[in-house]
Amino acid sequence: MPGRKVSLKLVCACCLMATLAGAPLMAAGFSLLFEQGAKAMGLAGAYTATADDPSAMYYNVGGLAFLKEREFMAGFTLVTSSGSDFTGAAPFPGEGVTEKLESLSEVPPHFYWVEPINDRWTFGLALNSPFGLVTEWDPADFSGRFITTKGSLTTLDLSANLGWQATNRLGVGFGAILRMAEVELNRYQGAINPFTGQIADIADVTLKSDLDNTTGWHAGFLHRVNNSFSWGFNYRSEAQMDFNGDARFRQIPTGYPQFDALVATELPFGAALPISTTIEYPASWSLGAAAALSRNWRVEVDYNWTGWDSFQEVEVDFKGALPNTVISQKWDDANNYRIGFRWLGSSSSEWRFGYVFDETPQPDETIGPLLPDADRDGFTVGYGRKGNGFTLDLALMYLLFDDRTTLVNESGYNGTWKTEGLLFATSLSW
Amino acid sequence: MTPRTALLLGVIVAMAALPAIAQVDTGSVDFTRYASMGDSLAAGFSSGGLHIEGQVLSFPSLISSQTRGTAAFEQPLVSAPGIPNILSLQSLSPLIIAPQPGQAGPLNLGLQRPYDNMAVPGARVGDVVRTRGGGLHDLILRGLGTQLELVASQQPTFVSLFIGNNDVLGAATSGIVIDGVTLTSAAQFEGDLRTIAGTLAAVGVQGTAIATIPSVVSIPYVTTIPPVLVNPATNEPVVINGQLVPLIGPNGPLGPGDHVLLPASAELARGLGIPAALGGTGQPLSDASVLSAGETAEIEARREELNAVIRAVAGETGAALVDIARIFDQVVQRGILQGGILLTSDFLTGGLFSYDGVHASPIGYAIIANAFIDAINATYGGNIPAVTMAPFLLGDLGRLPGTSSVGTLAVGSSFIFTAEAYENLRVALNIPKTKKLLRIKNRRARRQAAAVAVGSDDELDTRSSRRSLRRQRRELRRALRLR
Repeated sequence: MPGRKVSLKLVCACCLMATLAGAPLMAAGFSLLFEQGAKAMGLAGAYTATADDPSAMYYNVGGLAFLKEREFMAGFTLVTSSGSDFTGAAPFPGEGVTEKLESLSEVPPHFYWVEPINDRWTFGLALNSPFGLVTEWDPADFSGRFITTKGSLTTLDLSANLGWQATNRLGVGFGAILRMAEVELNRYQGAINPFTGQIADIADVTLKSDLDNTTGWHAGFLHRVNNSFSWGFNYRSEAQMDFNGDARFRQIPTGYPQFDALVATELPFGAALPISTTIEYPASWSLGAAAALSRNWRVEVDYNWTGWDSFQEVEVDFKGALPNTVISQKWDDANNYRIGFRWLGSSSSEWRFGYVFDETPQPDETIGPLLPDADRDGFTVGYGRKGNGFTLDLALMYLLFDDRTTLVNESGYNGTWKTEGLLFATSLSW
Repeated sequence: MTPRTALLLGVIVAMAALPAIAQVDTGSVDFTRYASMGDSLAAGFSSGGLHIEGQVLSFPSLISSQTRGTAAFEQPLVSAPGIPNILSLQSLSPLIIAPQPGQAGPLNLGLQRPYDNMAVPGARVGDVVRTRGGGLHDLILRGLGTQLELVASQQPTFVSLFIGNNDVLGAATSGIVIDGVTLTSAAQFEGDLRTIAGTLAAVGVQGTAIATIPSVVSIPYVTTIPPVLVNPATNEPVVINGQLVPLIGPNGPLGPGDHVLLPASAELARGLGIPAALGGTGQPLSDASVLSAGETAEIEARREELNAVIRAVAGETGAALVDIARIFDQVVQRGILQGGILLTSDFLTGGLFSYDGVHASPIGYAIIANAFIDAINATYGGNIPAVTMAPFLLGDLGRLPGTSSVGTLAVGSSFIFTAEAYENLRVALNIPKTKKLLRIKNRRARRQAAAVAVGSDDELDTRSSRRSLRRQRRELRRALRLR
């Protein structure tokens, strides 16, 4: 089976890409809602009640039941951000202080394989990156370096899915998810230099996990009521990931030998301290309805809920070698609202337009340089073209974040954050 | 003026320029003529001395910068190494804190009007109303009147008042609690505070900010040395048969509620307070080095009484109440997190206190300034910008005054707050000499014992207490003259 050999190679290649690629924050929290397929992105993710391509394995696994031919989809999303601009507010760091997040350019991939079993059952395999985060700051003179210099969460989901066409118009789907991830949290350690009373940089701290894994599941249905109307629902379970890794401390000389010697007795420089932490990936569900407005125009509206309330803190356990560190999060559940339009230019091409309003789960108390999140508006345009045995989908998304000001940050880091981002996605199906 | 002082002044001017350009919204009050009254905490006293580098970062100076921009805020500036000579950390092992050498002098003595910052280190509330000279009063008041008279003569539009700390602090730092001597009575405090408030109202002051008194038994001067024996090699408490070893106080082994004051470090270094079996002399620490649990409770109770008076007067006069007491309680309980750095009340490493363990560091004074600004904004409806902390936490403004020398010895944990350092602090804070206080305390104790022995009646008590009060006042006046 030459086809099967090719697809396995692709799986391996995509797996490697996904593992290496960092995924930046382009949906609220650290979800990557729109990076899972170019067709869905073109509709601003309003795809739960449509889900008619292999990316149904992310947007609504119920749609898998209606896919009746072996199909592969591979693609990526190029995420570019000019970085967040931060303007300080009093008391710390204070007015006049400005900072800039390192510019990002990341490429989270997606890969789907659809394999019909019979005229009722369809099997699918998906490899994608539904969560991710990368923030990085140049530590030199960065006023928030004692909070973070780098935060990175890379997640890769491998899911095996089954779609069952219960009736001609109702498809039901279920998938088991194996989630693999690694996390890195770096910052500088500061301390009061007793010789001057000033804060001194004493250590560069790197916390890095191994590649750990956990499991989850998702399920959904898609009901095509008639040729003009459909609705669907998809649920994705929460998943708790326990990470293990190492903490490393590199001493930064202060110019005060006595102080440096004292610091050296307090921190385990040079050693790899075992650490562990836990991250709660949230549950989420989406409900959508799609309708034909005319012969050429179709519209879908979706509502999505994500249970970010589960993400209250990240506690790093130093196994007794040092006191545990708790990074407070205190997130709330969040919603987003999507609408997408399709204009069917011909039987082989269509244009897509979309809009999403995406609420941030992050409260004012914890918005900071590790993740400067905000409510955002997303505007999308997409194009799909069917050729001889293939389909090419392209999409462009512009994200405009609300300016976000906090004066109550728990780490004592106050100011206004401004962020915008541009995403370009392409998916090729054959 | 040292290059660092010039730099500090330059940064202050630069900080002040922003509000000046932006036309700061001060609400319903006018800061055109702003005057500061109070004690060492309002004077910018730090590391045991008045020093220009601390004074330019005093909280009244910072409030002036935030409200009045570059307009001059005149203070009785003192050159390096300060008056008294400021303390510096000379070594981490053994840990030695001692005054810097040299002779300081006033830099602004010729000002042809009272200073804008009239706060006098060591002043009690009664001094604000009645004292015209003596000690640092001579430097700041220059024989022209009392703090209150001089401030009133300027007809300020706004006044900040941070007073009352020395009305309870002397008891904590001397380790000797004598009501009416090291503790001011609530009645006297209230009378004097109302006199101040009434005088300010009479001269047409538009706005006032009054601060409460923070706990004086939670400062590093009182809390740094534990009442148990510590192994100097490990810096961990010594445990014998599963029990901590209490230090020996004047009345026997110390309990968990007793406090050992910072100057006791010199006595501990000589083996006092340490059982003979564990390498000490077996002799007790001096009374002045220990604050018992009972004395601590007495001081705190009085502080609460005085704070109740402050809150009442602020409420009645419509003044902005700056609840430094509450803020400091929060600092003691959980610290203040700024930019990921936890600032605490710990000695040397907490960031908020200077080398004397009593007074704030520049970072601490900036936080006090912001507490004042918050209260003023809340009371008078203004939008005065808070002091930007980044230059204090990450830049040169956070440096303790006069810190340029670097210790050279190896790390260890012996600890000496030198006798000279204590003496300078005692003089600056107007605390009578320990011998004097002990004489008064012992005399009072003998009198009380005698009264119990003969069976006192009310009349005898009244006469005795009047005589005692007169005697105390004489003793105190004599002690103050001896300063």
